[in-house]
Amino acid sequence: MVFTGYLNKIHIKSGYIMQECVQARHVPIRNKVFKKASVLNRASLLNYVVALLIILTMNFFIPRLMPGDPLQAIYGNEALLVMTPELQEELIHRFSLDRPLGEQYASYLLSLCRGDLGHSYYYNAPVLKVISGFLPWTLLLTGLALVISTLVGFLLGVESGSRRGRPLDQFLLGGIMLFSGFPDFFMGIMLLLFFGVFLSLAPLSGALTPYAGHSGLMLVVDLLHHLVLPLAALVLVRLTATYLLTRNTMITTLGEAFILTAKAKGCPERVIRYRHAGRNTLLPVVTAAGLQFAHLVTGTLFVEIVFSYPGLGSLLYKSLLTRDYPLMAGILLVLTVVVLTINLLLDIFYPKLDPRVAKCT
Amino acid sequence: MHVNYWREVHTSGPGRIGLGLLLLVAIAAVLAPLLTSYQPAAYTGAPFMAPSAQHWLGTNDVGQDIWTRLLYGARTSLAVGGGVALLSLCLSVMVGCSSALLGGLYDRLMMRLVDALIVIPPVIVAILAAAYLRPNTVLLIVLLSLFLWPGGARVVRAQTLSLKERMPVYAARTFGAGQLHLLFNHIIPDLGPILIALMIQDARRAVFMEAGLSFLGICDPTVVSWGKMMQHALKFVYLDVWRWWLLPTGFALSLTVMGFTFTGFALETALNPRLRKEAGHADN
Repeated sequence: MVFTGYLNKIHIKSGYIMQECVQARHVPIRNKVFKKASVLNRASLLNYVVALLIILTMNFFIPRLMPGDPLQAIYGNEALLVMTPELQEELIHRFSLDRPLGEQYASYLLSLCRGDLGHSYYYNAPVLKVISGFLPWTLLLTGLALVISTLVGFLLGVESGSRRGRPLDQFLLGGIMLFSGFPDFFMGIMLLLFFGVFLSLAPLSGALTPYAGHSGLMLVVDLLHHLVLPLAALVLVRLTATYLLTRNTMITTLGEAFILTAKAKGCPERVIRYRHAGRNTLLPVVTAAGLQFAHLVTGTLFVEIVFSYPGLGSLLYKSLLTRDYPLMAGILLVLTVVVLTINLLLDIFYPKLDPRVAKCT
Repeated sequence: MHVNYWREVHTSGPGRIGLGLLLLVAIAAVLAPLLTSYQPAAYTGAPFMAPSAQHWLGTNDVGQDIWTRLLYGARTSLAVGGGVALLSLCLSVMVGCSSALLGGLYDRLMMRLVDALIVIPPVIVAILAAAYLRPNTVLLIVLLSLFLWPGGARVVRAQTLSLKERMPVYAARTFGAGQLHLLFNHIIPDLGPILIALMIQDARRAVFMEAGLSFLGICDPTVVSWGKMMQHALKFVYLDVWRWWLLPTGFALSLTVMGFTFTGFALETALNPRLRKEAGHADN
């Protein structure tokens, strides 16, 4: 989303790594090096635990800052009116809402471990069950958007960076930066108006044609037909971060000595571009993809609302409109956990991609 | 070392476009009462009127003048953008500089906190908090700042670490300068351009997020906001009104964001010595 941030973060990250490298080289005993590795992994794991705890604590305390008793604060007045006294009793008992705050917190964490996120009064079902029906659509949309925008952004960035200052580079740079200025939901609205309303090429809402009873190949075609506009909106807006990062890294990498060596050897231009420079450029791009994922998830929420795509975004909007607080808190918690998990996976995956990091740490 | 950042930014193509757009939006926001004869909340005519000499962009479903609301909406966007930029910059500088200068356990704890906060998506937390608390502009600014500062703190810390080893700072320290003196007289002035880049970046994200949140209906009900206008206009998309209601609002928002993007990009190019040097070569 923001280029300065990514660049700096990555430079700093590689700075850390370099420091570690230098330190590690001075350590003569191999044991110490290995110890350092495990410490670093544990440290990055700790970050995620701390982040999760911050979110959980906020999730717990914000409703309880409200006036009124906890049940009223957590579920809202409308929900209390429709709830039967038995259900109220059960919820108070289940989350020990009549106990001191410390005990409530412990019970909250325990029930989370059981996968109990509370009761959605609008759907009259457990929150987790409601969410699990909507989550796959969001994951499909976000996952595809992440893969496609990273891939296309990387390819365009490589081509553009190796042609710095020439017409194609200028054209791509201007065009892609123009796209990044549109908020996700406005890009969605424009695509919807143009392709959906004006040209009637794509369906206006939903993820599948209802009651069509497609199966096999027809189902896939129908699914893609509904997916293409939301996906295009996300990819067009989210392309920029990867593109700019690739382009800038490409420019610096092309100035390095090993590129000159490759040229002197007589390597073809395309091989230098992708095998020598592109491969090295990929590292910061992967790091950035993790950081970008949080923004991508947020963007998906808005795009889903515009296209009434049956994912968590639409569910969140509905829960905001119906004041279904437990459902809302549950959705946000699930989304944060997804974002944290993806970042953690990338952290684990990163040393495999860059052997230097693995060796250093 | 002595680079005239201002000149580099306002002579480059993207920089000129970006500054121009920002100036345009700022003028619209400041001079809003002079550019229109209506009040944003006043009912000025029949609903759904097409653009005319009296109503440049027509009227909405309750007969409010859309052009007027567009101008006053710029105020909200810029206020949130500017407020978040200032507040989160203060937090970034406080945490970044103090942990670089003090070091030790404090430094490690702070950087751990930064590492943890940086992966939390701010909009999601803001939705949760604002849904329970009564949303208003100040609360929104505080909430967004609380989750935008960590990125800046990292950058500030890294720069301060390198600045504090420089000769002038070293010399000042041998003369007995205290930490605070070093901070305010030597380090913060040298951080200048980077701080401005951080502010532009935070302002851009804040404008983006404010629009998104008000699109979801999370905003001060008493102020005019572009996100809220678009959400409202989307309900009447089956009529022709979207041409002068939905699209101009969206473009106003996009142009503001683009203004920040292009200015930030130009400043980033000027700040990054590698990119700048290469640009010099290309010109030669």
